[in-house]
Amino acid sequence: MNLTQLDPKTGEPSAKRYGMIVDLNRCVGCQTCTIACKHTNDTPPGVQWRRVLDVEQGRYPDVERLFLVTGCQHCAEPSCVPVCPTGATRQRADGLVTMDYDLCIGCASCAVACPYQARTIVHEEKGYYEGRTTLQEESTRHADRFGVANKCTFCVERIDTAHAEGLVPGVDPEVTPACAVSCITQAIQFGDFADPQSHVSNLARDNRSFQMHAELGNDPQIKYLYEVPQSTPGRAPDAGDVDDERLSDESNPLVGKRQTFWDYRAAMNFVLGGMASGLMVAAWLAHAAGLLAPQALRLVLVAAGAVMAVGLFFVFLKIGRKARFLYVLLRPHSSWMTRETWCVALIYPALGASLLWPAAAPLALVALGAAGFLYCQARILHASKGIPAWRAPLVPAMLGASGLYEGLGLLAVLGLFEATRVVSVAALAPAGLLLGVLNLVLWRRYLTTAKARGIGPLARRDLAAVTPWLHGLGHAVPLLLYALCLSGAAAAPLLAALAGLATAAGGALWKFVLITRACHQQGFALPMVPQRGSGKRAAPERYALG
Amino acid sequence: MGAADKSIPIKGERKMVPLYCNQCVCGPDLFKVEVRDGVALRMTPNHDLEGIHPAGGRVCVKAYGLVQKTYNPNRITTPLKRTNPKKGKEHDPGFVPISWDEALDIVAGKLKDIQARGLRDEEGYPRLAATFGGGGTPTRYMGTFPAFLSAWGVMDQGYGSGQGAKCFHSEHLYGEFWHRAFTVVVDSLNCDYVINFGSNHEASGGVSGVWRQADARVRGLKRVQVEPHLSVTGALSGEWVPIKPKTDAAFLYALIHRIVLERNWQEVCDVQFLKETTNSPYLVGPHGYFMRDNASGKPLIWDSADGKAKPYDDMIGDAAMEGAYTVSGYEQGPDDERWVHTDAQVRPSFELMREHLREYTPEWAAGVCDVPVETIRRVADEFVAHAKIGATIEIDGKILPHRPVGVMLGKGVNNGWGGYQAMWGRTMLACLVGALEVPGGTMGTKVRLNRPADNRLKSAKHGEDGFMAYPFNSTRKDEWQSKPHIRNAYKMLVPLAANSPWSAALGPAHLPWLFQHKAPKPWPRQTLPEMWICYRTNPAISSWNAPEVAKRIAEFPFTLAFGYTQDESNWMADVILPEATDLESWQMSRIGGTGSAEQFWHHQGWALRQPAVKPAGDCMDMSDIATELARRTGLLQKYNDAINRGAAAMALRGEGYDFSLDPQVAHDSKTIWNAVAKAASFETSGGTEVHDLDWFSEKGFMIRPFSQLEWYLYPRMKEEGLRFELPYQERIKRHGEQLGRRMHEGGMQWWDEQLKEYEPLPGYLAFPDIWENYATELGRDPKDFPLWALTARSMQYAWGANVGLPLIREVAQNVAGHDGVIINRATAKKLGIADGDPIVLESASGTTRGRATLREGIRPDTVLLIGQFDHWATPVAKDFGVGSLNSLTDLALSLTDATGSGADIMRVSVKKAAA
Repeated sequence: MNLTQLDPKTGEPSAKRYGMIVDLNRCVGCQTCTIACKHTNDTPPGVQWRRVLDVEQGRYPDVERLFLVTGCQHCAEPSCVPVCPTGATRQRADGLVTMDYDLCIGCASCAVACPYQARTIVHEEKGYYEGRTTLQEESTRHADRFGVANKCTFCVERIDTAHAEGLVPGVDPEVTPACAVSCITQAIQFGDFADPQSHVSNLARDNRSFQMHAELGNDPQIKYLYEVPQSTPGRAPDAGDVDDERLSDESNPLVGKRQTFWDYRAAMNFVLGGMASGLMVAAWLAHAAGLLAPQALRLVLVAAGAVMAVGLFFVFLKIGRKARFLYVLLRPHSSWMTRETWCVALIYPALGASLLWPAAAPLALVALGAAGFLYCQARILHASKGIPAWRAPLVPAMLGASGLYEGLGLLAVLGLFEATRVVSVAALAPAGLLLGVLNLVLWRRYLTTAKARGIGPLARRDLAAVTPWLHGLGHAVPLLLYALCLSGAAAAPLLAALAGLATAAGGALWKFVLITRACHQQGFALPMVPQRGSGKRAAPERYALG
Repeated sequence: MGAADKSIPIKGERKMVPLYCNQCVCGPDLFKVEVRDGVALRMTPNHDLEGIHPAGGRVCVKAYGLVQKTYNPNRITTPLKRTNPKKGKEHDPGFVPISWDEALDIVAGKLKDIQARGLRDEEGYPRLAATFGGGGTPTRYMGTFPAFLSAWGVMDQGYGSGQGAKCFHSEHLYGEFWHRAFTVVVDSLNCDYVINFGSNHEASGGVSGVWRQADARVRGLKRVQVEPHLSVTGALSGEWVPIKPKTDAAFLYALIHRIVLERNWQEVCDVQFLKETTNSPYLVGPHGYFMRDNASGKPLIWDSADGKAKPYDDMIGDAAMEGAYTVSGYEQGPDDERWVHTDAQVRPSFELMREHLREYTPEWAAGVCDVPVETIRRVADEFVAHAKIGATIEIDGKILPHRPVGVMLGKGVNNGWGGYQAMWGRTMLACLVGALEVPGGTMGTKVRLNRPADNRLKSAKHGEDGFMAYPFNSTRKDEWQSKPHIRNAYKMLVPLAANSPWSAALGPAHLPWLFQHKAPKPWPRQTLPEMWICYRTNPAISSWNAPEVAKRIAEFPFTLAFGYTQDESNWMADVILPEATDLESWQMSRIGGTGSAEQFWHHQGWALRQPAVKPAGDCMDMSDIATELARRTGLLQKYNDAINRGAAAMALRGEGYDFSLDPQVAHDSKTIWNAVAKAASFETSGGTEVHDLDWFSEKGFMIRPFSQLEWYLYPRMKEEGLRFELPYQERIKRHGEQLGRRMHEGGMQWWDEQLKEYEPLPGYLAFPDIWENYATELGRDPKDFPLWALTARSMQYAWGANVGLPLIREVAQNVAGHDGVIINRATAKKLGIADGDPIVLESASGTTRGRATLREGIRPDTVLLIGQFDHWATPVAKDFGVGSLNSLTDLALSLTDATGSGADIMRVSVKKAAA
């Protein structure tokens, strides 16, 4: 738990660390906080920055039900901040994770990086009554909030007036978040964890609490109280609460659903960008090994550049604020998306230069940019901490290995053509075999460690479903064909090209599945719950208070 | 963060306008609305009341719907007139806008016609009838309309909807009878252990109830929730006991059995309380009436110290609670019958109670309730262990008994058959440990049937036999109301309903709907009211067998509805008048003191509701509508007199003050409420301050201290030397016998089942069988309806008339059951139903459709339909498709108990519907 009084960014002493205490013993799930938040922050239909889940665990007749307050946790180590390519999301010295709607391009990197499902993006402005805007809606509309990421701000406008008015957030209701001061059970308490005398600090010290998904290292600043020793002691969940059957139940509000922020358009960039950058690298390596003439290399790079451009265009279609797309370049010191874009900014000028200037350097720069691009892509997905299947440690290696494997394959395909002829296709085959085996091993390992890495059964089911196809198309077929190439068959170029096609298809397949199917959000967890319910879950018998 | 602010309009004046919310019966609570440029934008709690209001000046989720309610584009904003003379669900009413002048003339014309011909028709029924929404909440919005009704005179308020019957019916009647408790709660501020039978308090207890329960939980209160489904309240309880529906009385009886027959009752009970503050030692004669002293007529107690019987209020050394004694005296039976005894065998009522309970063992109850026997025994033992017999607590300088245990009953438990038994069991449990009306225990909140209405404690007056007086409707031959004076005939059929302004609503308020279609024989012909007024209620949705009630409404010749949007009841209206709603009109209301649920304040006073924004369209302030109707019907002077008397709020003239209105003049709403403001501030300040409406508009409320001692009835009982009328129900028995004679004298045998309920010690009947067998009455096979259907309170919707607000819909859907019918997962699996599947529910009398919501927290033999939906005319709500229990229940005499109430329960089948 990070209760340091140092600003985690600057190392400077910070006077404040705002956060919340949520008492599971108090919350009745009444939705008053949710609706008060909607009022205070004018959120559009369907958007709930403060959401309270109605959770049920166990099996009749041993059942419990509880209400879980969720929302932005204003993490001390927020995973949404470094991934933001524009700096629209930042963390203040007092711990608040903020949004600048004017900077945000709506890329949704933050949304998939958040393990607490705190962020929303609404693209189209709609009111509560179809086709009819009410006077209230007209007077509270925020055109700047569409197409960009939104989330709980801890009612920052209130907090920021505190100093001027001589008031204390968490003490004076006017400068305390609306959810906390509207709560009819006092379940939500707001305050300064850096002040050891604050109410929230006292509650945290005097009661047993947990942070949700503490193991992910975000150090969230909502602490959940779960125990009233006199009445209902806390207890860890039963095995049945977290087994695969329970976590496969889509009506269980704790279970993460498929993210919808990144759809096929985002997947297209990973598919096309991955194979194109892999092709650039593979072609340059082949050239370096003397297998590809400089002019052929140029043509291959141009073809790869075209493929990559198509992928990038799909991403462009996906972002919420297209006119601002250049803001994506603003955060090279933390955002892999920014860095990916800078790689693009290197690749295309270098490619242009290589066409005008017949020297080795531009070609090498293209390859360097492509390698960077591929690496950045791998890191982008891995940094999406809100999606267990993406953040798994093997994902960067898988994307990198697959990119090279596909690139090599596409090189073999292009090798069929005169202008881009590869000197010896057979010479590519060992690399193909090596990369094929590597990809196969990585996938197997990814699957077998998936559960341990926190990938839920729903996502695992999607991964398992694609596996036979991937093994067949992406692994077995190319490996067989590459092996045949080695045997010196006359049809080696054709075989290698077929292997290459299969490789690219396999790569496209698993990336599409990973990004649009096995993309379930983290969901919510209850490491401890108040002991109450029916049958075996009931509070212990008691014959006196205390 | 500046970006976030850019599009918020900052031009113009920003005001925070204080108002009250009384959408539910647990109010009023207070809030502020932010208004900018004349547009209401956002709601906030009223933090000025932090430390004053029991819930810190906060309001619940429903209040936050009021801004959207104000600007709902589906609102009716001009008076409407029906053009299609045919009425019914299938007939488009063809409403056309008309002017206020025309609308008021039509209505006033009808009223004047009635005045000219007499307020009662040829059968003696009032020609004018009116139905208002539940719990008296509409009166906090109808301005001076009550003064108009008062000026009018006779009318029929006995047609139920939310108000009447579909309520905590047995609790209202027996609660007031036994301890001046129209509604009953537990003193959670001082309570440690609660057994709660199905009261969904965390959804229905108002902000104060929810707030105090949360504090109590964290302090250590343990609650055991006994109910068929795991409600929001069950979720927050230490233990959920899934009991079979309608068997709660069996559980309660077994608890008492455990305490008085298996445990040593002299050790675990508050013996002194039982002896001195109940009728436990009263001796009961051979005919089941109290043995009375021949000289004084007072019931006798056996004094073991002196070895003789003495009048109950004599000096008694040791009142006998057990044994049999030989005593001379007399029993006073029904209709002046008297049995004089010499040396008759008599026994204390406590002894009879123990005898009565002997068969209700925990083992028996375990079978009836489908609950483990050890749970029943343990809960009884936990209950007595937490009762702390002998403990005291200081309240505002006075030492009172402290009994931190209580019992709560939900609506479905205490209305309809079994309600009397459950009420008796719960109140008796409190008596056993001396936990009735003392700190920490079970206590009442307010009175509706006794007087004075605004002081519960003072309503405890001396009556007969050492008990509080109670205004029974007489069943004596010479005094009995032998013909219905209004269509629900509460004076005739329900002695306990008393005869206060509330009694019409607390009679058998669903019977007029039933009798209009099919009256029992013999029964006077039930005429239709010539004009029916419908205000802030929707009986075509909120009644048992709502589709049937809609048909009855369609038969009314003239309906005046005050309408907010189109709904299922005003679909049948002839004229709809659009009122200025919650944020648009003037009214003052009392706050504080003690009120429904846990509105226990340390203050009391007045609060204001004011036009924070201009009324939408042509909507008119209800007070102005009332004044106009009074003027056009020639009732202006009577109406103003009624206002001056206090019919709308409080008397405008009294000792030391006179703010009364000129009775000859039509006053506008603001003028009227300005006078009320002055009177209210005079009263609140004890005559030292007078404030006008402008002052209240700014401040929002005015209060003065209210002692916590005013919460508890016990001190008053002791001061007055009164006893609680438990366990033995001599008066109930006598009324039952007399009522039976009266009915039979009139040839009416159709109330005989109800008459059986008038037992001095209520016995357990197989209550579930009543509903299981009901199908047979309609020629259906009970086996075709294998499941129980129940309902539960939705905090988000209840009483709010807010089903047309998509904002409420959005947040309500976060709570399970708001999007479908809750069904046990294993049961659903057996029926081939998956989560979200469309399903159809059928009962012997109706059907409803919804989507399946699969949950574990419900008995496999039970399904749950939250709230009351199945709308077909109300915009937004008509597209919900969630089903309603009201489409499955029926109006039937066999489902009506002796207090005149049915219950929210039905036997149903569930099938997967075609998508």
